[in-house]
Amino acid sequence: MNALPFVIAAYAAAAIGIGGVLAWSWLSMRRAEKAADALRGERR
Amino acid sequence: MHRFANPARFLQLARPLTAATLLLGLALTAAGLWWGAFHAPPDYLQGESVRIMYLHVPTAWISMGSYLGLGITGIVILVWKHPLAEVALEALAPVGAVFAGVCLLTGSIWGRPTWGTWWVWDGRLTSMLVLFFLFLGVVALAGAFDERSRGARAAAVLAIVGLINLPIIKFSVEWWNTLHQSASITLRGSSIHPDMLHPLLTSAVGLGLLMAAAVLMRMRAIIAEQRIAARRARLAGDAA
Amino acid sequence: MKPKHQRLALAGAAVAALGIAAALALPALQDQAAYFYAPADVVAKGVAPGQAIRLGGLVEKGSLTRSADGLTIHFRVTDRLETVPVDYTGIVPDLFREGQGMIADGRFDANGTFKAETLLAKHDEKYMPPEVAKAVERAEAAAKARPEKPAP
Repeated sequence: MNALPFVIAAYAAAAIGIGGVLAWSWLSMRRAEKAADALRGERR
Repeated sequence: MHRFANPARFLQLARPLTAATLLLGLALTAAGLWWGAFHAPPDYLQGESVRIMYLHVPTAWISMGSYLGLGITGIVILVWKHPLAEVALEALAPVGAVFAGVCLLTGSIWGRPTWGTWWVWDGRLTSMLVLFFLFLGVVALAGAFDERSRGARAAAVLAIVGLINLPIIKFSVEWWNTLHQSASITLRGSSIHPDMLHPLLTSAVGLGLLMAAAVLMRMRAIIAEQRIAARRARLAGDAA
Repeated sequence: MKPKHQRLALAGAAVAALGIAAALALPALQDQAAYFYAPADVVAKGVAPGQAIRLGGLVEKGSLTRSADGLTIHFRVTDRLETVPVDYTGIVPDLFREGQGMIADGRFDANGTFKAETLLAKHDEKYMPPEVAKAVERAEAAAKARPEKPAP
């Protein structure tokens, strides 16, 4: 059995999973912190 | 209260720490995986499929370690009712689930050309699947209540109860006959050749840092969301 | 979905997750956790012919032969305590070889030969480049060929 397609599939799965959770974490952080800072601006 | 309990203090630390873990994590992960995928030797028995090890083993270590962190966070929530611990629990669980999921997926893909099967219900694989479900259960419980603290406390109980699974995972390959082989790295030493061990450790540190980065970012997001909710509630109170 | 129903659904999902976790963990805590019988277990427990079990162990060096039509293999599996003969017809995993582990599902026939229906290769926890493995093999062969020195 040629191992190459399996190796590629594993690296792709890891890239999607870990890259995905990093992207989600980053985007949710940016969105929430921006909104929180905007609200603080309204107070003044 | 602990010095870092105050969110402002935590955020002061979290901002530079996020950048550091993210950048260092990306660099070490890229280096370790590039090394393992292209420069490390093939295995005498498994050939090229051994390159999946540079993903599967680190994610296994990280998901088990992060579940330990989850359990400890749960204890802190129940015993000290620490608000930052509730944030940490909410942040850790989904990220831990992803790493556990990637571990299972890469392991399955590795098993097909080596063992000859995508899955078996042996002690190691089954207990790792339970770990994945436990992460999901914590996510679900934490989000099941209107009041965030109640959800966190319920999820904390599940997280603590699930800690028993960690020694089961670790010793499954010693206690029972399993398809999954026993540990290659023990306190006594390693049965992995240095040419493979070094890229493995590099990618493990890198991926661990990336995990930390994701958790830090999620904690910052949750804290910001809580501030928004609190401010909105205050504004609504003022207007009334 | 109404918020209350959403909460119930989430709580239900959490309980289900816990239930699944328990259902999977509980058998693991019993004796059934052993994924396979080793040859010594088979001899000790006395498996009846026709009883479906899973057999695991090392493929004994020098025991692997292939039938005339090339479809069936015969070998002996050992755990260094006992040895069991096995017949298997079907696809053989790439990693299956003498000196490495295997796990097979099947049953014993009346003659005490294990008729395997599925075959999996099990590898050990050692990882090394091919050259290193060859060097290890050569060293082991040299050690075997050396005449025994009398103990002082």
